[in-house]
Amino acid sequence: MFASIEDVIARFAGQQYICNRTIATVVFLASRLRKPILVEGPAGVGKTELAKVLAGALGNELIRLQCYEGLDESKALYEWEYAKQLLYTQILKDKIGEVIAGTQGLKEAVERVASQDDVFFSERFIVPRPLLRAITSATPSVLLIDEIDKADTEFEAFLLEVLSDFQVSVPELGTIKAKHVPLVVLTSNNAREMSDALKRRCLHLYIDFPDREQERAIILLKVPGVAERLADEVVGAVQAIRKLDLKKTPSISETLDWTRALTILNVDTLDAALVDDTLATILKYEGDIRKAQQELKDHVAKARAKAAAPAAANAPEKDVLH
Amino acid sequence: MDTKLLEFVGLLRQNGVRVSFAESMDTFNALDLVGLGSQRGVKDALRATLVKRAVDVPTYDTLFDLYFSGVGEIVKNAEGRSMDALDMDPSAYQEMLDELARFLEEQGIEPSELTQALLQQDRARLERLLRAAAERAGVQRIERTFQEGQFSQGMQQALGVGDVAQELQMISQALGEGEPDARRQQMGRFVDRRLQELQEMIRRLVRGELEQRDVGQRDAARMQALAEKSFYYLSEDEIRRMKEAVTKLAARLKNVLAVKRRTSRKGKFDVKDTLRKNLQYGGVPFKIRFDRRKRVKPQVVVLCDVSDSVRNVSRFMLQFVYSLQDLYSKVRSFIFVSDIGEITKLFEENEIHQALDQAIRGNVINVYAHSDFGRAFKMFHRDHLASITRHTTVIVLGDARNNYNLPHEWVLKEIRQRAKQLIWLNPENRMTWGFGDSEMDRYMPYCDVVEECRNLNQLYRVVDRMVIG
Repeated sequence: MFASIEDVIARFAGQQYICNRTIATVVFLASRLRKPILVEGPAGVGKTELAKVLAGALGNELIRLQCYEGLDESKALYEWEYAKQLLYTQILKDKIGEVIAGTQGLKEAVERVASQDDVFFSERFIVPRPLLRAITSATPSVLLIDEIDKADTEFEAFLLEVLSDFQVSVPELGTIKAKHVPLVVLTSNNAREMSDALKRRCLHLYIDFPDREQERAIILLKVPGVAERLADEVVGAVQAIRKLDLKKTPSISETLDWTRALTILNVDTLDAALVDDTLATILKYEGDIRKAQQELKDHVAKARAKAAAPAAANAPEKDVLH
Repeated sequence: MDTKLLEFVGLLRQNGVRVSFAESMDTFNALDLVGLGSQRGVKDALRATLVKRAVDVPTYDTLFDLYFSGVGEIVKNAEGRSMDALDMDPSAYQEMLDELARFLEEQGIEPSELTQALLQQDRARLERLLRAAAERAGVQRIERTFQEGQFSQGMQQALGVGDVAQELQMISQALGEGEPDARRQQMGRFVDRRLQELQEMIRRLVRGELEQRDVGQRDAARMQALAEKSFYYLSEDEIRRMKEAVTKLAARLKNVLAVKRRTSRKGKFDVKDTLRKNLQYGGVPFKIRFDRRKRVKPQVVVLCDVSDSVRNVSRFMLQFVYSLQDLYSKVRSFIFVSDIGEITKLFEENEIHQALDQAIRGNVINVYAHSDFGRAFKMFHRDHLASITRHTTVIVLGDARNNYNLPHEWVLKEIRQRAKQLIWLNPENRMTWGFGDSEMDRYMPYCDVVEECRNLNQLYRVVDRMVIG
């Protein structure tokens, strides 16, 4: 349980996740009101990461359900292990024979078997999928439903039902109620609009690209050993790229990749050639790379000039001599 | 607070943000938890509970600032302005206010509540009085700019500005009596300004209310007007906005179709697939498979007339078609005036707007020739007819004004035989088809669909049908 919004920020920082006040407020509200969070935003901005960090911060287990088109109830909720049931039946053929020995006619035999059928339809033979695992979890958990916009509308309706009551009826086993209602995080890439009913149920959180200071703080936290000057230059370059009209705008995960790549190459500062070579780590489309190359050449030159300006002011005599 | 919140929700709805009743209930719970202390906290809490679509977030932010900080900001700014005019810093200002209060006591003057608040710069009270007056005057009913004066007057009456003016004058006179020292003169100037300030505050408050109404409505109205505007008559500025509108429309269409496509039709029981899938269970059919009717993505071939008369329309048509590229398995586009050239490669290599500019500027074909549909069609038949299959939708965009050349409508006949459907889009008014050198009546019989396509709405309908069909 979070004590306050500041508590959220502190605990998240402990999990190596820098969040702004808006994210912390929504997380706090969700944990207190026990409402699901619907997280939207461009790709790579930390939506899935948020759920993982939330689980870590609360010390709960993270149960993940990855959605895709064609995902249905059996893959999300539970399935019977038919193969196992068949196998057991085969192995126990003799025993079954013993059980129905002495019965007169089919009807009695079936009744004798039916009285034993809860052996085969018990928890032993059920395969709990993420939703059932979250419901039956003995400890409080965080349920991450990833990329809900990829699933179809039938699944959404089914999910709505589960999320409203957190109980499931398995015909053979009866109704299973959740001991601890899990904290639910849904992420969406905005490929399509969600149904109103689902959205109404959730608190909405929109995570956008981070601003300059935040991005810098994130880089310094996640890439230990990076030179501060390099971090500044990288942030400047990426922020400039984001302003262009690109097919896929680089997000914070791409920035981190780039920084790590540069650190591996033991680079202290950016120059035009280096940028050209490593641009492919943040931009994935040929057209985008070309657009960015031009923009970055100007940007790096400007940054170089700015850095050189104070140095030049210190050594005017030398220039005169040359 | 509750009524204020409900009013805010109403304002959001007015501006196109969909908020349901259940959500407003959640809001109260959320505010209980967050507390009303920090404005940022309240803004975040309300955003999480009221705004459910990413597109609404900017509208919400603007409206929140306008609605909740509105009056407070106005009053604070007025104070700032006073301080600047009298050239005082906050502590000196406060000293002067205290002296003024003492002076009034000495003189035995007891000003009314509003005057008191004005003279003491009692922000909270001023806010309260202004808000109450605004409600009494019904300022939230304002809708148009020319109503500003009317509502300002209403507010002034509700506040009783006339009485305030008299009181302030009386005080000013009292200050000027006898030998006024520098201090007294300063106070005199301050008092004189107060009335002006009050009127300024009223004006700004009314303006603020007007802006709130405007935020969402302005955009919606503009979009609508743009969608009805004929492509022929667009100004530079409108062309730019049209580009954005087309992109937005394409995104919307994609969304609609993504949902429609999802509903996979469950067909008949598929024996082969069922057996295959159930081999692991020894052939016992635990999992039943149905055959899913596959939806084949259509292929599109677009032939655009880019002669002078039709250039604008072609431009937007091509932009629309290319924005929807992912919904088709293949798009091939051609432009023609009197000869025909393929521009598919341009779109693969360049970004949409650049490709369009290059195509229309004349790098591919001679755009300065006179329209000759027949000749262009014959060239198409000779070079590209083979690429049309029964999955292809062929769209021709042109006004069919042939300059009295040979029409060669047999080409259309052959295209239609091969293709899935042949659509003709004519940007001219239906009344003029067939008159003068228009060959529409010759071309029409060979087309499956003939549509007028003069503005964005019509374009949308056509593309909608094209992608679904």
